[in-house]
Amino acid sequence: MWKYFLRRVLQMIPVVLGTTLLIYALVFALPGDPVVAMFGDKPVNPTIAAQIRAEYHLDQPFIIQYLYFLKNAFTLDFGNTLRGGRPVIDVMAAAFPVTIKLGLMAFVFEGIFGVIFGIVSGLKKGKWYDSVILIVSLLLISVPTFVTGFLMQYFLGVKWRIFPVTAGANPGFIDLLMPAMVLGSASMAYIIRLTRTEVASNRTLDYVRTARAKGLSNRKVITNHILRNSLIPVITYLGADLGALMGGAMISERIFNINGIGNTLYKGILQGESNLVVSIVTVLVLIFVVCNLLVDMLYAVLDPRIRYE
Amino acid sequence: MTENTNIPAPLLEVKDLQVEFNTSAGNVKAVRDATFNVYPGQWVAIVGESGSGKSTSAMAALGLLPGTGHITGGSIKLEGEEISHYTPKQFEAIRGLKMGLVPQDPMSNLNPVYRIDAQIKESLIANNIDITREQRIALAEGLELTAAERAAKENVHDADDELFLGSAQREELLAAAKEAGKEIVSEEDMKFWEETWTPGSVTRWNVRHDMIQAGISDPKATEIAAKYVTGSTMADRIAGLLDEAGLPDAAMRARQYPHEYSGGMRQRALIAMGLAARPRLLIADEPTSALDVTVQKRILDHLHTLTDSLGTAVLFITHDLGLAAERAQHIVVMYKGQIVESGPSLDVLQHPQHPYTKRLVSAAPSLASKRMESTKERAEVHTKQAEAGHPENVNDTIISVKNLVREFKVPGRKELFKAVDDVSFDVKRGTTLAIVGESGSGKSTVANMVLHLLDPTKGTVTYEGQDIHSFDAKQLLDFRRHVQPVFQNPYGSLDPTYTIFRSIEEPLRIHKIGDAKSREARVRELLDMVEMPQSVMGRYPNELSGGQRQRIAVARAMALNPDVIVADEAVSALDVLVQDQVLHLLNDLQAERGLTYLFITHDLAVVRQIADEVVVMQHGKLVEHATTDEVFNNPQTQYTRDLLDAIPGGKLELGLDM
Repeated sequence: MWKYFLRRVLQMIPVVLGTTLLIYALVFALPGDPVVAMFGDKPVNPTIAAQIRAEYHLDQPFIIQYLYFLKNAFTLDFGNTLRGGRPVIDVMAAAFPVTIKLGLMAFVFEGIFGVIFGIVSGLKKGKWYDSVILIVSLLLISVPTFVTGFLMQYFLGVKWRIFPVTAGANPGFIDLLMPAMVLGSASMAYIIRLTRTEVASNRTLDYVRTARAKGLSNRKVITNHILRNSLIPVITYLGADLGALMGGAMISERIFNINGIGNTLYKGILQGESNLVVSIVTVLVLIFVVCNLLVDMLYAVLDPRIRYE
Repeated sequence: MTENTNIPAPLLEVKDLQVEFNTSAGNVKAVRDATFNVYPGQWVAIVGESGSGKSTSAMAALGLLPGTGHITGGSIKLEGEEISHYTPKQFEAIRGLKMGLVPQDPMSNLNPVYRIDAQIKESLIANNIDITREQRIALAEGLELTAAERAAKENVHDADDELFLGSAQREELLAAAKEAGKEIVSEEDMKFWEETWTPGSVTRWNVRHDMIQAGISDPKATEIAAKYVTGSTMADRIAGLLDEAGLPDAAMRARQYPHEYSGGMRQRALIAMGLAARPRLLIADEPTSALDVTVQKRILDHLHTLTDSLGTAVLFITHDLGLAAERAQHIVVMYKGQIVESGPSLDVLQHPQHPYTKRLVSAAPSLASKRMESTKERAEVHTKQAEAGHPENVNDTIISVKNLVREFKVPGRKELFKAVDDVSFDVKRGTTLAIVGESGSGKSTVANMVLHLLDPTKGTVTYEGQDIHSFDAKQLLDFRRHVQPVFQNPYGSLDPTYTIFRSIEEPLRIHKIGDAKSREARVRELLDMVEMPQSVMGRYPNELSGGQRQRIAVARAMALNPDVIVADEAVSALDVLVQDQVLHLLNDLQAERGLTYLFITHDLAVVRQIADEVVVMQHGKLVEHATTDEVFNNPQTQYTRDLLDAIPGGKLELGLDM
């Protein structure tokens, strides 16, 4: 187990290096000169420009720049933003808590409602509410998030005024509720379908019949045998989705104007803030990889047949 | 039957039972007017092929009909109470406690994510079982005690007599018993105590009884037993139950997960579960059909002893008439949802009345005492040829296996696993050689090497004197034409997207034989040969039954006019009657065409019907090689004797009048 864990941690290194290199290359290839952009409307002073280029190693070849970035990232020094010169680490420190809060809320939302509706649907296959749940989940999967987002914002926010239309600078629980629902809706629909399929197929398994033959009550059979086994793939999906929620918050954050990491990233890309973009993506990749590792370890705990050499 | 007050009331009384399934094609009657009784302590067997309604009848009694199944008529009474209209809640109350189940497939009937002990504990808790003491069925007490003992017991009259021994007190008890028995009790008796005083299984009364039997005085034995046998814990009881079901190292094994168990061990765990709440009736639904014969025998022997000592009645469902006759006092034969015959086991076996039962009796391989006629005729032809001076046709070797070794890597282990270890034998032209062994004996590995599907680590396989593993591509293609396989699973060995015609024609096309027209004629000829109508050519495998598919597989193997057919468990997955038909087909083809068979099977009963020579394999090694008659009449090794003993119904005396 520990050997496997260590091997997986070591495997993370090339993944992180590869993705950051790829992102760095993409940002590097973006048109426009960030130094020129820094001057804004003012005329460009070649001396100062050269000074800035030297300071940020922008005069070096691509690969050297990347290595500088890596070296600094190791010491958590992500440099400063080109505009305004704020330390990137500060920008991230301001934005990440908001996104983490939003992501966790979406995670809890999709987990609770996805599993509950999935179980109801799976146990009562063919009943009218099963059909309703199926149709709604199909809609949520097929309609893009920004459509769901705008629709909810219009009806729940603008028209009926149930939720705040946008989140402010320091969003609280209520402010983030609707964005979290939008963010988690597609995954929730997927979890409904996954849970439903698992529950429906596990219900007819031999060991479930054996459990009934032992004299267990229906409730015990459902909770201890059907659900326990059905939820293994659901939980592993949820774990992997946690990373995706953080990275995928960009659309919800744009719609509801939340100053989270997605919004920051979006602005960073528009302004050619190569440092900022690469730094955020690096952290997102790390979150993603760690979530996946945790899921794999969790899988071994949930299913004793899985043993890592 | 005259009214007799001595005859007890039936425990389970099924009368005119009707069960239907709703399908898209309408309602299907799975059970029609089934009537049978199970009396307390009795073993009743329901025999029939798959789809005969035998399992459905039993599941109806448990209230566990699958899918759309429901009872449409008749009655099921348990201890005189009508249960066919029970609600799910009412069934929960009697399942486990009054009726237990030992299901068919040990691989799928245990929940993979729970330890074995947790799954047994569930059963004890759900039924509110007092784990500190035995819940003996009154009948068992009556049977077990002699009148004097019963009187003695009533004198003591103590419910605590049924308390189990706990693991914490076991050592103290043994020490005290040995101390008391110093110079009185023999070494063997003390050893017997050590071996049989299992925590959670042996009771105060048992312990006391054992000590008195060994020579310790009654008051002393009673005192020691009362002092140290004071009830078991949950863990003790679980281990005790597993131990009773015959699981070795039960206390340690109980903490393992199902995937760490072998098939036989899982079945024992399921037996422990089925009997955990001490039900009056145990429904055993083909409990051993997925296991090797030797394991099957051990487990059924054990189940028999256990249910006898507990006084449990058993409704035993099986497709094997021999097994049914050997185990049950009463046999019920089901065919297409109806009971066609019912009576005491030997009566049914010796004087079958219904044509279906007669067919079952004559087809049951375990009951057949002689080789098939066509085999015999062929043997006579050979003998005559030999006498006429053509010895090369008789003893001519077609396939020769020499010092074959095959090793496999086992994940997580350094040393290689020897699946086949120095095996040598010759297969003579026109004869059948059977390789027999339990699963894991390496018999299929040998077959795969003979088929050139697997390379040997060491040793050679020669066909017509040539080493097959030195063949180049062209020679190999030619070899494949002459040596054809028929595999175990008729569902998996035919491509579901191919029509029957295409499946049979494919080998002809691959070997570029004939044109489209002549190939079609050949396919028709082959279908005739395997006695299938030519109308199946356009159909797909899923439209055929298992036996029909296996016939198609044989037809495909025959397409290229091979010399040798390697049949790897070719009939194991089939019902007895179908199995009998396929075996006859193979035999007739051999007689007509002088085919050579290498027949891989775990079923010695089948071997007796078809083979000339037998190779017995165990743990990858060849342990015996002789003619079939020699192996059956005069087995040389203990392992072969065990295999022979394990043939169900092998020892039944049959005087068939049919």
